[in-house]
Amino acid sequence: MRKYLKILLPVGVICILGAIFYSPYHTWARKHVNLMTATEDHPLNCASCHLYLQKSGVISKLVNAHYYSPFNLAVSNDGRYLYVVAEEGNTLLVVDTKKQKVTHKVEVGNRPHSIILSKDGNTAYVSNQWSDNVSVVDLTSFTVTDTLKTGGGPAGVALSADGKYLYVANSFSSDLSVIDISTGAERKRLNAGNSPAGVQINADGSLVFVTSRRTLSKPFGDTIRCELTIINDNKQRVVERRDVKSAYIMENISFTPSGDLAIMPLVRPKNNVPTIQIERGWMMTNGIGIVEQKPSGRTIQLLLDEPNAYYADPFDIAITPDGKRAFVSNAGVDCITVIDIDAIRKLIAESTNETLKTYANHLGISSRFVLKRIRTGANPKGLALSPDGKKLYVAEHLEDRIAVISTESLETTGTIDLGGSGRITVARHGRRLLNNAGHTFQNQYSCYTCHPDAHEDGLVYNMASKDMGRNITNTQSLRNIGDTPPYKWNGKNQTVYKQDGMRFSTVLTRTEAFSYRDLDALAAYIMTGIPNPPNLQYNPNGELTESQKHGKAIFERTHNFKGYEIPIVNRCVTCHPAPYYTNKKMADVGTLAASDDSILFDTPHLNNIFASPPYLHDGRAASLEEIWTLYGKTEQHGSVNDLTKIQLNELIEYLKALRDPEYEQKSTEILHASFGHK
Amino acid sequence: MKIKRTIILPNIVLISLSCILMASCNSKSVKNGMLLVTEAPQNIQTPDYISGESWRYLAGARISAFMPGKPSSLKVLTENFFSASSPKISYDGRFMLFTAQQKQDESWQIWEMNLYNRKCRKITSFNDNCTDPVYLPGGRLAFTKLTINDTVKSAHCLYTCNLDGSGLRQITFSPNACFATTVLKDGRLLTVSRQLLPDKEDPMLMVMRPDGTKADMFYKGAGGSVLTSSAHETSDGKIVFIEADKGTPAAGRLVSVSYNRPLHTRIDLTSGIAGNFCSVLPLGPDNYLVSCCMSGSERYALYEFDPVKKSVGQEVLTDPEYNILGAVLVEENERPKKLPSEVDLQVKTGLLLCQDINFLNPMLPDNSSDIRKAIKIEVLGVDTTYGVVEVEKDGSFQLKAMADTPFRIRTLDEKNNIVNGPCSWLWLRPNERRGCIGCHEDPEMVPENKVSLAIRKPPVIIPVHVTEVKEKIVELE
Repeated sequence: MRKYLKILLPVGVICILGAIFYSPYHTWARKHVNLMTATEDHPLNCASCHLYLQKSGVISKLVNAHYYSPFNLAVSNDGRYLYVVAEEGNTLLVVDTKKQKVTHKVEVGNRPHSIILSKDGNTAYVSNQWSDNVSVVDLTSFTVTDTLKTGGGPAGVALSADGKYLYVANSFSSDLSVIDISTGAERKRLNAGNSPAGVQINADGSLVFVTSRRTLSKPFGDTIRCELTIINDNKQRVVERRDVKSAYIMENISFTPSGDLAIMPLVRPKNNVPTIQIERGWMMTNGIGIVEQKPSGRTIQLLLDEPNAYYADPFDIAITPDGKRAFVSNAGVDCITVIDIDAIRKLIAESTNETLKTYANHLGISSRFVLKRIRTGANPKGLALSPDGKKLYVAEHLEDRIAVISTESLETTGTIDLGGSGRITVARHGRRLLNNAGHTFQNQYSCYTCHPDAHEDGLVYNMASKDMGRNITNTQSLRNIGDTPPYKWNGKNQTVYKQDGMRFSTVLTRTEAFSYRDLDALAAYIMTGIPNPPNLQYNPNGELTESQKHGKAIFERTHNFKGYEIPIVNRCVTCHPAPYYTNKKMADVGTLAASDDSILFDTPHLNNIFASPPYLHDGRAASLEEIWTLYGKTEQHGSVNDLTKIQLNELIEYLKALRDPEYEQKSTEILHASFGHK
Repeated sequence: MKIKRTIILPNIVLISLSCILMASCNSKSVKNGMLLVTEAPQNIQTPDYISGESWRYLAGARISAFMPGKPSSLKVLTENFFSASSPKISYDGRFMLFTAQQKQDESWQIWEMNLYNRKCRKITSFNDNCTDPVYLPGGRLAFTKLTINDTVKSAHCLYTCNLDGSGLRQITFSPNACFATTVLKDGRLLTVSRQLLPDKEDPMLMVMRPDGTKADMFYKGAGGSVLTSSAHETSDGKIVFIEADKGTPAAGRLVSVSYNRPLHTRIDLTSGIAGNFCSVLPLGPDNYLVSCCMSGSERYALYEFDPVKKSVGQEVLTDPEYNILGAVLVEENERPKKLPSEVDLQVKTGLLLCQDINFLNPMLPDNSSDIRKAIKIEVLGVDTTYGVVEVEKDGSFQLKAMADTPFRIRTLDEKNNIVNGPCSWLWLRPNERRGCIGCHEDPEMVPENKVSLAIRKPPVIIPVHVTEVKEKIVELE
């Protein structure tokens, strides 16, 4: 009996204590979780916040992992090697296609984007989007032999027909660098469309086509237009700026070998239409643009979607050497669409211009030319064909894997593991969710669609609140928003849990709401894993220019230039304090429109604000200047009316220089280190 | 003490195990993998869309269960009912919804059976027939109920309720007969719907969200076709159902359409097969069960069917006394998505936006049939007009219509001549917002990305004599 008492007594005490404390503890935990998530039904799971939302420290290292995230790829001339751009690994991975494994890893710059091989196949040029340069990689020694300076955010790359020049699309500075390969110097900088992405030279090597991701700046309600920039390869001059109407996110472009067509994936958004339903393509459609390569050639748009099935986020395109088939990666639905190009030629030939215009909005037309949809791993991005055209390699971006597809059987014949972290962390799962359209009714769009690269798409949407036509809303960037609640312009959602919860499903995705597991993962990714790129354009090293310093003084001033004290509420720094340049409070800056419901707006964070036009809650200001020159006359949005034109420019120069706190910290560390060295 | 423990403990364990074993061997239980069939003694009749009869609701019908490959194991599950039919299995495979008459003169009502112990409980208790139950994700069910009132006159409308019968909601509000509902994997309801007023139209498959919003045509056969069974979604993205020609209603064909593009992918899977099909159960991409009366046979029996080879296979079950009218498989199934609802019952109206009433689709063959430009619309109720509304210069209009009220729209020219229409019946649920691109739109067209002039103004209230609706304001964003 004594033996049992020794066990029973402590158990009994624990049970009694448990019974006494369970109820108050449960009540406290419920209140705590409700407070932290701003919801009333999130499960009492401590790990949700206390493990997965840690941004640094031991716990963060334990729960997170490093990934390669293959983004684009190229195949060697003999088909033996694949050169895979690992976006998060900051490396170029060399894959032996016979051995099916990675044989070399070459460290390149920050966030590599694209790759092009020299004609002899001995050199690779890798654009580093967050380093503003191109790594020149010797593929015989697998070393970086040179680094070529580019414009802001180099993305797509192409070589001139004679192989002497490298064209680099600068996605952040919206221009095209023409680099003389022999000297490594930038020979020219040509203006391109808004956020150029893909660069390709046409079949006869006479013209270079540059696609764009963002639309040209237009007021809400105008037909959106995205620029396809066409450059004479010989003269290296822009010969045409073609408006592609009602489309954007034209990531890449490819030419048929015969040179009769150029085909580019694109998205056709419905931002001018009230967001009242998803059915029948009322929110977003996905397709291709076809550019006829002949005098007065037309630009035709055809949807890849079907009446009850959408193929979100088309990204890359590859065309077989015989010109018969094209493959488009649909990153948002994990599949490759196989296109019969002859069927497209026939369709175009037998259709009038008016009919073709209708096809751009017709969900049934894809049945005329789509041969098959091939399933892939998570988030297929870059595509490359083997030299004989028999194999298609697919960069499975969020799978750390390359898929190998037979272009004859149209079946996946194998996969090549790149050797990244084998486990899928909670934040990684969240990233997959953000990039996948499976959580939207009929897969019409993913979070990524309106937030490409977790940023914003530059469009203004009619969110149709009380009545249709009300609440015109400028898309906000997701970068580093974890630390700047509340969310939405009206600040109604205090946490990501609430933002992406049931209301999100009712209004935006219109299908089953995220499960709590998925919601935790999404929150983990958004709260911890979306940094801004370094602001290399306006503030590369933390040292402000003289003009920016003047602007900073204006930003922080307490008295105007006439000597009068500026009321605290009218000082820039009051509502926009560092490090995120937001006080996270609601404000009236005199921009309320008759079509707006709420009176106050969330004060946005300003880091990397230069990259987020248009501005204000309804995107009415096309530039930072317009915030005050056109829409800030009452001084409600800061005291600026005493500023001269030059002083306003200085203030704007300073605003453009704002960057994430982590870069400020790094700069300070570098500065201290250099002092120590001295 | 020691001896006692060694005796008592094993005995307790043994007794417990025996209890569990006995419980699991309950002879009454309907096990996973069994097929449930609806058997009817009379000759099968063509569905009557007006009375709602003949939808497997035949006097004396019963539900039986058997293990595939063992027809002799057939046992009747509904021996306590005068008639029972239309079984539907819950997503966890443990319960069955069915419709039944307890006694001969009673109305048909919805029941649920626990497949483990075969205990039944009544879910609906109305004077009118309640039929075609189907489980909804989230603990509710949908069913058809005869509804007679001023709004729909006399029609078979769809309703939803909780599994205990509470929380009854009507979700269709048109003078249509809606039957044989199923739930698609995307969470929407797919129902056979036939317009009854003012003229009877051919039946079609109509799709809608479980709250009755976004009701729309899913499939419509060639002129005069009759849909005679509920539709089923297969694992390879097809919708299969039975369709008959108007002239030969007793010759049901097994038809498949693609979920992705239902209006243009019809395939008659039984082309060239002599027989009358009355139901289908897809078990896999290349394996269906069909209920069919083969040529020369007097009764309907259950057969295997290969949709790839388009051929009828072996007989699975036949009964000399009964027609086998349909089958369901007892198994756990993937739950369809549970769709959120925008319906707010405190709101009295819904909004409808049309982009351009004069939209002409050059792809449609009849696009040049009438080039008169319409400048107005007339909104018609069941037996009255709700008014004439002038549309904007771009052909757009925005209506705020009384919720749960059927209406049709026709377009008029400046002299009030009818240009097009009226369209089929529409209704808006409370707080529903929906759009269309034109009055004779191609269902496969998406809207042009433009701001319609109509949304720059407040919506026009329907009926037009109502100048103001005081109601709760809902902010969606």
